[in-house]
Amino acid sequence: MPYKLFDVNKEIPERKEHVYVKHCNDDDEDIKCNTSTIPGCMTARGCVYAGSKGVIGGAIKDVIQVVHSPVGCTTYGGGAKRYPSQPNMPDGSEFPIDNFNIKYVCGTDLKESDVVFGGTKKLKQAIIDANKEFPYATAIYCYATCTTGLIGDDMDAVAKELSEELGKDVVAFNTAGFAGPSQSKGHHIANNTIFDRLVGTKEPPKTTEYDIGLIGEYNIDGDLWVIEKYLKEMGVNVLSRFTGDSTHDEICWMHRTKLNLVRCQRSATYIAELIEEKYGTPYLKVDFFSVQYCVDNLRAIGRHFGLEEEAEKVIKKYLYPIKEELAFYKEKLTGKKVYIFSGGPKSWHLSTPIENELGMEVIAVASEFEHADGFVKMKDRVRQGATIVDDPNTLELEEMIANDKPDIILAGIKEKYLVHKLGVPSIMIHSYENGPYIGFEGFLNLAKDIYAYVNTPVWNMLEFDPNSQNEDNNIDNETISNGSKQSAVGAGK
Amino acid sequence: MTFVDNITEDTCANCGNVNVMKRERSLIINPLKTCQPLGAMYAILGVEKGIPLVHGSQGCSTFVRYHLARHFREPIEIAVTSLHESAAVFGGRKNINSGIKNIALRYRPELIGAITTCSSEIIGDDVFGFVDTTKRELKEMAEEEQYKGIDNVKVVPIPTPSFVGTHFTGYNVAVNSLIQNVTEPSDEKNGKINLIPGIINPGDTKELKHIMHLLGAEATYLTDISDAFDAPLRPSTESTPFFQKGGVTVDEIKDVSKAEGTITICKYAKSGAETLETTHKVPAIIESPPIGLQNTDKFLRNIQLLTDVEIPESLLNERGLLVDLIADIAARYLFDKNVAIVGDPDLVTGMARLVGELGMNPTVVCTGSDDVTFSEDMKKIAKEVGTDIDVLLDQDLRAFELYVKDNEIDIMLGNSDLRFINYETKIPLVRFGYPTYDRVGYHSNPIMGYRGAKRLTEMITNAVLEKYYDPYHWKLQQ
Repeated sequence: MPYKLFDVNKEIPERKEHVYVKHCNDDDEDIKCNTSTIPGCMTARGCVYAGSKGVIGGAIKDVIQVVHSPVGCTTYGGGAKRYPSQPNMPDGSEFPIDNFNIKYVCGTDLKESDVVFGGTKKLKQAIIDANKEFPYATAIYCYATCTTGLIGDDMDAVAKELSEELGKDVVAFNTAGFAGPSQSKGHHIANNTIFDRLVGTKEPPKTTEYDIGLIGEYNIDGDLWVIEKYLKEMGVNVLSRFTGDSTHDEICWMHRTKLNLVRCQRSATYIAELIEEKYGTPYLKVDFFSVQYCVDNLRAIGRHFGLEEEAEKVIKKYLYPIKEELAFYKEKLTGKKVYIFSGGPKSWHLSTPIENELGMEVIAVASEFEHADGFVKMKDRVRQGATIVDDPNTLELEEMIANDKPDIILAGIKEKYLVHKLGVPSIMIHSYENGPYIGFEGFLNLAKDIYAYVNTPVWNMLEFDPNSQNEDNNIDNETISNGSKQSAVGAGK
Repeated sequence: MTFVDNITEDTCANCGNVNVMKRERSLIINPLKTCQPLGAMYAILGVEKGIPLVHGSQGCSTFVRYHLARHFREPIEIAVTSLHESAAVFGGRKNINSGIKNIALRYRPELIGAITTCSSEIIGDDVFGFVDTTKRELKEMAEEEQYKGIDNVKVVPIPTPSFVGTHFTGYNVAVNSLIQNVTEPSDEKNGKINLIPGIINPGDTKELKHIMHLLGAEATYLTDISDAFDAPLRPSTESTPFFQKGGVTVDEIKDVSKAEGTITICKYAKSGAETLETTHKVPAIIESPPIGLQNTDKFLRNIQLLTDVEIPESLLNERGLLVDLIADIAARYLFDKNVAIVGDPDLVTGMARLVGELGMNPTVVCTGSDDVTFSEDMKKIAKEVGTDIDVLLDQDLRAFELYVKDNEIDIMLGNSDLRFINYETKIPLVRFGYPTYDRVGYHSNPIMGYRGAKRLTEMITNAVLEKYYDPYHWKLQQ
């Protein structure tokens, strides 16, 4: 039986099917996933609203974000993600406020009377106020939350009415927080809403034969800019970005791309499929995490457009400078045991690269909200004996750490500080430590952060040792010299 | 007896006025407040082996965990009942029932705070009833050998919909719920003082403990996050399941009825003190926090009102060190500078008074709370300082931003979200309040007490020196 019931789960045996240990004689049983979390667990999962505003809508740089909620959801919707944007607009102009998408979040601040009598009047006024406050914004997106979902406010009607009145797109996302098992449902609803309401409603100023849509890349710590740079240098034109550093208009003309690249395949394959179905635009699932995937996928894009030589040039230009330093980190990290606890697909994006390119042993992977297809990939890509967990909770993580004693855990901010208390370093993989983490230089950043965390001398000094040798002897002590800081560049050259 | 703030009103000839400006927009932009459940979760994390269980969507727990974790850089363990569509239709009874049992069985905590949210309140869940039923079921289970003692856990329902109040009122509701559900009546006195700290940093609760220690007064903190949000990394002391460190014990909460008195150092957190006064005859003092010289003096006098303690030399020397610093630097570097302060109502009130003590002008104060005691306190401070104060009440960070850009402000005191205003206007920013996530050390050091005031004075002065004094200028030579 590949399923595993953790000791901490003996009172909630239904967790068994969510935990899987890979063995040679695996049968084809699926890992249970994308179902409701068991009440009372310390899950890291978020809500449906978080998926729509936090991931999809909130990355767009020229749109006012109005959260239709009591104040909490609005406050939490601001500053929760690290997706910077530049003020450049498709028509060559500049948006008056840089990083508008991470600087401002608006809300309707609903009160008890609104819950009783309905909040649509307040939503209307809020949208009008928002437009007055930021008249240069291209569009206004509004998000439902638990409250507005339950009181039944017809946000679509308000959006329609005000789109006409204000002469700009007002879009309602019906993503009440409780409307699905995780934030993943919010991604899905937002994909559908954007496709239904926006795609095909505007035309780009000009098109080329090399226009692509970069879908499912949200520019965490500048990831998108790394990929965009490679593509541009290959001669490929990014016509639309969904949705990192994107503008409202380029979302509206996504139907004009010649090829769509789907980067985050959990949160955005939906819209690529819808576009293919309606407009016939093909899409490629791409992966740029690590050297190997980056090389493979740049070549695949090159082949599609007949730009093979250009792809090779880009690969050479950006791979060459990092090779030596990466080799240094691989040497230092070889054999280190690692967990990858991702939100969505990073567990299967990163497992092979971390094994092959950094020499580490991925002994457990987990995902908060991946679906069945993602767990199949996780299963395929991890080594024998690795544990795979859907929607892990804190107690399970504690048991795993006690048993495995990993050298580092790639997870989120909610796991990080707990893991540290247990004496294990942890780096943030949803947002990053010092990203970008994508592409050649991004993978080097990731390697460097892992190396820095694993080798920070403090991990060898966690406890007071009354029987320690004198200091002079300690200098030669192997554990200390392993922990000492070494410059990768200096050592490599 | 209820003591109220008695800042003297007749100290200045050139009397200051306040100009209160409330939010006119229906829209809120960059709120300076958040929801009631956050305050409740914060309070429960200050109970030893206490677990907050949020009865709502997963966002209700996960956003709060994120927010608190990035400020404190500590584990923030909060459970959730994971309300989904079926609960929205059929009610969340099953969720909270199985949620409590799940925690009781797997964690064996001392206390569970069952915290409601928008969704559970709107669908009309009777959380009080559900909790009672669950407790009965736990009692039945406890008869089995393997579940022995499982019914010892205190389960406290805390009604905190987000469409009412703010995180400040949520904290207030939670502390009051703890007292109503856990505190036991008693005719005895134990000589202790109850302190209700409000939503403050571990650096400050540790400073309060330091002061009480020097005074030789014993106190119970309702609740005590000093170790939970600033905990040592010592793997050898950890055990599973992980609980946040420290906290007030359930037994201590039971006994707060025996105290000599209760001091609430944030006015919004007064309900618990009032309950103790009306139900258990424990005198209540509702006060502004001991931020600054005179507020700390006042705090010490309040302790003396409740219990017989002398102010020791050690504390008078701490006071003297603060006075020494202010005497040495305030007139030269800080006099007449215009200060803009934004944040939690009571912290801003304390800060405004300190700024006045430094000879600076609290030109504008801004808070997201609509509590009118804020403007009343500011009136007193305006009179005391002798300057006019613009009071942005029930406002948001956008209003503060526009104000600062339109007026002559020399220095801003506020949270990390002000960094954008700082980049744009170049007005120096001293980080103060919640959340402070882009600098380290803020939360683990005090802003309260004489030592906290000294630290704030140093931070403010250094910010002024960096901005307004040329680093190569001879003026900095001595």
